[in-house]
This record gives sequence, C-alpha cells and structure tokens, in this order.
Amino acid sequence: MTGSTRRRTVLVVDDDASIRAVVRAVLEADDLVVTEAVDGTEALAAIAAAAPAVVLLDVMMPGMDGLDVCRAIDTATIPVVMLTARDDPATERACLDAGARLLLGKPFSAIELLDVVEGFVGVDVP
Amino acid sequence: MSAGHSHGAPDTALDRQLQVFARDVGELYRRQKERSEELESALATIKTAYLETIRSLAFVVEAKDAGTGQHLERCRVYGVALMEALGVADQHPDAEYGFLLHDAGKVGVPERILSKPGPLTAMEWRIMRMHPVIGYQMLQHIPFMATAAEIVRCHHEMFDGTGYPEGLAGDKIPLAARAFSLVDAFDAMTSDRPYRGAMSLDQAGAELVKMAGTQFDPEVVAVFVPMIDTLSVPGR
Repeated sequence: MTGSTRRRTVLVVDDDASIRAVVRAVLEADDLVVTEAVDGTEALAAIAAAAPAVVLLDVMMPGMDGLDVCRAIDTATIPVVMLTARDDPATERACLDAGARLLLGKPFSAIELLDVVEGFVGVDVP
Repeated sequence: MSAGHSHGAPDTALDRQLQVFARDVGELYRRQKERSEELESALATIKTAYLETIRSLAFVVEAKDAGTGQHLERCRVYGVALMEALGVADQHPDAEYGFLLHDAGKVGVPERILSKPGPLTAMEWRIMRMHPVIGYQMLQHIPFMATAAEIVRCHHEMFDGTGYPEGLAGDKIPLAARAFSLVDAFDAMTSDRPYRGAMSLDQAGAELVKMAGTQFDPEVVAVFVPMIDTLSVPGR
C-alpha cells in the first residue's frame, strides 16, 4: 500500500483553510491522497515524517514564508509547485530560484491543477 | 493567503476561485462530450471491423461448402429480423455472428466427407455430426460471443429432442439457436438446389407450420411465418 499511496500523496500548505479545502476536493476527486499543513513549520515536519509525491505551497504565509519553506525542501526528489495571487515575473523568478518547479496563479483552474499534479505524480522518483 | 480566514462573510478570493471552477466544469463537460463522441465512433468502427472479420471467417467456411451462394448473408438478415420480432435482439447482439458462423466447425471435417457425392457411412456421419461442437470450441472463449457460440453448438438440435449433438429439446435449446434453425431451413427451402427448384415463400411457410412442434419451436414459427412477406432478401 505505502508505495503507491505515497506516490499519489499531495501535501497542501496554505494558511487559508478554504483554499486547502478546495484543493483537497479537486485532488481527491482524482483519487489523489491529500495531506494538509497550515504553515511552514508544520509542512517541514509533515515532509520529514512521510515524503509526499508533490508539495503545493502558498507563497505568502505568516511566519516562515513559502520561499523559505521551499528552500528547506529537497526539491530534487520532491517537486514543489507554488501557489500565489501575485504571479508577476519577479515572484515567479524568486519561486524558481527557491527550487519550485512552477507557479500556479490564484485563482487557479482545477483542470490545470490536476494536469500539473498528475504530471508530477506520474513521474517515478528514484 | 492570509486575506480570508474564512469563517465569516464570503471573501472575494474565494468568489474568484469559484468562478474559475465554474468555467472548469463547463470545459470538462465539453471535453467529456467530445471524448464520448470519439469513443462512440471508434466503437462503431471496431464493431464494423469485428463483423467484417467474422464475415470473412464465415466465408472461408462457405467457400469450402460449395453451392450455397448467399446463404450465410440471407440467414444473417432473416435471423436478425426474427430476433427483433421475438424482442430479444438487444439481449443477444452477437447472434448475427452465430448465424454467419453456424457451420464454422466444418473446417474440422475432412474434405472427402463434406463433398462426398453419395450417402455417408455411419462413421462418416459421426464425424459430420461433430461440426457443431468443433465450431462451439472455436468460439467459446471469445468475449461477447456467448450467444454466437450457443447458436453454433445447437443449430442442429430439434425442438422435439431428435437433433444433435446433444438431443436437447424445447427450452433447453437456446432461443437464438431455435430461431436460427428455422431461418436456416427456410432459406434452404426457398433456394434452388441442383436436385430441385426453390419453393415459393408461401409453400415454405406452410412447411414450417407443418414442422412446428417437431423440428421447430411453435412459438418461433408463429412469429416468423407472418413476417415472411416483409423480409428483405439479400442477393436476390
């Protein structure tokens, strides 16, 4: 069980409960397994406990912001997708520099979200 | 986002997200519709290819069994019309394959027996009477061909139990096979043979009525005979 479940587990990190709820609803409709964290500290603890297949990470969070969290993740083995309402080139540059694979602007399309996540969970991480 | 710890009034970020999702629903609906149209058309193509494959297989058998001309195609058309009239065509979409392939098992019968001009010996008859079972064995493991396989196995059974290979009687003979043996005989009667001319449709109908209860299921005869004048006859 663990092998395939882990390959389809997505960690959603956002301080906004409604965003976490809609992301969960969309991903679970596609049989993905969703875990949640409300801030960076919780996210890093969750990743240390069980590495997810993908991390969806809000950029602007109180405390440790998304960029700091991203830098603390081993993004070579765990792909990180940043979520932000500010999808200007500077933010995008900062996210990619921090190790994120790509940036999804809020509000995001459910179809695009699924395409992105499926693209990453479909890739076998060594 | 820190904007809306959303326990109170609806926040605009959530509203915008909802609008995007609403468009997503429309887009997904469109894609789904497009996809099912594609699948439907692909399925139709596959069904045609399937039927044509079965048909060519059946024609190989027919070519071996000389002189029957359009017999297979007529049996298929009559058989499908009869299944529809019996109200069971939808439950047995593969029946027409069975009509076409009823004699497929003859590939397992030696040529010298099939084309022997004189009467067969008892041993030759025993071999000849194996063809329904040989045909059944050819089809029994093919998906969606269960009815077709039953037709092949039972097309020489008779309603009163005097047929072969198993001597099944009445309802023990699958309905599609009961229907087939009738249209098979009907087509034989209404076709020219080297040793006799074709019967008229009315004569053939009267013959079927005469054999209702012995060779044929009376209920199937009762449905078929009134349809005789409305049959479209391929190859004529």
